[in-house]
Amino acid sequence: MTIWKISVQNIKSKQGYTLVSIFTLALSMMLLLGIQQLKKTFQYQITNNVQEIDMVVGAKGSPLQLVLSSVLHIDNPTGNILYNNAKKISESPLVKTAIPISYGDNYKGYRIIGTTKQFSSLYKAQLEKGRQANKTMEVVLGYHVAKQLGLKLGDTFLSSHGLMENELEVHTEPLTVVGVYKQANKVIDRLIVTDLETIWDVHHYHKEEKQNAKEIREITSLLIAFKSPLGFLTMPKKVNKNTNLQAALPKYELDKLYEYTGIGFTVISIIAYIIFLVSSIIIFMSIYKMIKEHSVYLALFRTYGASNFQLLKMVAYEAFIIVFIAFVLGVILTKGGLYFMFNLIDVFDQQNILQALSFRAYLQVGGLIFTVVITSVLLVIYPIIKMNISTILSHEK
Amino acid sequence: MIQTSNLTFHYPKKEHVFKFPNIYLKQQENLLVLGKSGVGKTTFLHLLAGLLSPTNGKVMIDDVCINSLSHQKLDLFRGQNIGLVFQNNHAVQSLTVLQNLQARLFFSKQIINNKKIDDLLKELGLMEYKKCKINELSQGQLQRLGIALAVIHNPKIILADEPTSSLDDENCNVVVKLLQKQAVQSKANLIVITHDQRVKSLLSNTILL
Repeated sequence: MTIWKISVQNIKSKQGYTLVSIFTLALSMMLLLGIQQLKKTFQYQITNNVQEIDMVVGAKGSPLQLVLSSVLHIDNPTGNILYNNAKKISESPLVKTAIPISYGDNYKGYRIIGTTKQFSSLYKAQLEKGRQANKTMEVVLGYHVAKQLGLKLGDTFLSSHGLMENELEVHTEPLTVVGVYKQANKVIDRLIVTDLETIWDVHHYHKEEKQNAKEIREITSLLIAFKSPLGFLTMPKKVNKNTNLQAALPKYELDKLYEYTGIGFTVISIIAYIIFLVSSIIIFMSIYKMIKEHSVYLALFRTYGASNFQLLKMVAYEAFIIVFIAFVLGVILTKGGLYFMFNLIDVFDQQNILQALSFRAYLQVGGLIFTVVITSVLLVIYPIIKMNISTILSHEK
Repeated sequence: MIQTSNLTFHYPKKEHVFKFPNIYLKQQENLLVLGKSGVGKTTFLHLLAGLLSPTNGKVMIDDVCINSLSHQKLDLFRGQNIGLVFQNNHAVQSLTVLQNLQARLFFSKQIINNKKIDDLLKELGLMEYKKCKINELSQGQLQRLGIALAVIHNPKIILADEPTSSLDDENCNVVVKLLQKQAVQSKANLIVITHDQRVKSLLSNTILL
């Protein structure tokens, strides 16, 4: 017989109450950890895709829209720009790489990006099967696209105009799959990559405008990486002031977006803390109630020779068992809940959705709960020390 | 051996002062303390057990003045040397009969001897209920468990508070005999405090409060 055993038996004897305590605590932990996990995942998705892109040049409009559409591929483009104008910008000595992209078509909802061979290096995407597109009408599929659509090397398909799946504006030129990228856990996983000429050919730039075809060729945007930080200081201002193009800095724009969404995170965090406060009160009440309800047993243990410290230990063990189970359950619920949620809505296309939370995050939540338990246990020291055994045992019924 | 001298006690916020007679019991001597309700029988028993501190006077058990012990030492002294039988026999509901007895020995810092527990349970007719939870026991079984909890650790003094008040004549006799037997086996003093006149014929050494 040990104090631990007695505590375990006590917990077993009040299962309903214990389950409610564990569940409410696990729920609040799930919200606290979940919101941190969501924040981290959101940040990861953003930073992971903008690492190699310092500036985006596109048509005038909303800079955030330009970044979202050209970098994260989750919005409509602001318009098209002349390829020749974009090339002039890429010739600047401050530019390390300038990758043109052109899009506006899709296949079953997956965007088709016309670009250069450098595009895949932006995302460090490597070929899993086949080869890069060497001539027009050849495409390489992102990992997720190939997986979802079940397309194999040599398969052909017809693209549709626009960024949403539709059967009304289907192009007549078939595209052939010549390669599939390995999973990169980046936006390229859900793109269909081809060369710029394919996009132009599909849209009949060459055939209809033979005379000045080269002059009127358009792209959607230009993804630029600078050689030095000097580029950040001069290039955006220069482009925005001296041309009819728009330059946007992805990191800056996405930071702004993160600030806006941060308000939502803050609100959810506050709700989580309120629930946590409620469950903390439940923990304290359960410990205090235990002292009151079990006062006869605690007094009985005192007549057996138990010290105050032993009784306190018994109470603390019970609290810690509940908290530990709640913590483990909270972590499982957080991971499981988010995984289920993301799979259900397919937000990030299964790209490493669940970013491992840092040890510090767990430590913070664990520390918070630990503090509540310690405080609750400290608050019941007084009733235990001041327990009047004689009165309790005289009035036992 | 237990000895008291000039014990008085008064509850806070109450004017009445209880005065108790001096007692002196040698090893294995028994005592019946009779008295009507409200004369302070339970208060006297709690003073003897060190559950209350006297306003005046002292309680000596085997040359130890229990009133001069610190709280912690008194708890341990009580746990090791005194066995208490309560009117409403209480045991810990979440534990089984066996676990209650093991807990009794554990808190009084004694070796948990399962054979000794088994022997006592056999003697008290509780062996088959060894693994039962407390709420599965009848009132009579609970009373016997109360006695087992009071004697399992071989105390020097067994203090019983109204152990027969809710029992019929036959069971009253059985319980007192059991207490006497256990006191002999433990070489302990037995002090029974009751208003139940039926016990008078079973215990010879009597004082009236």
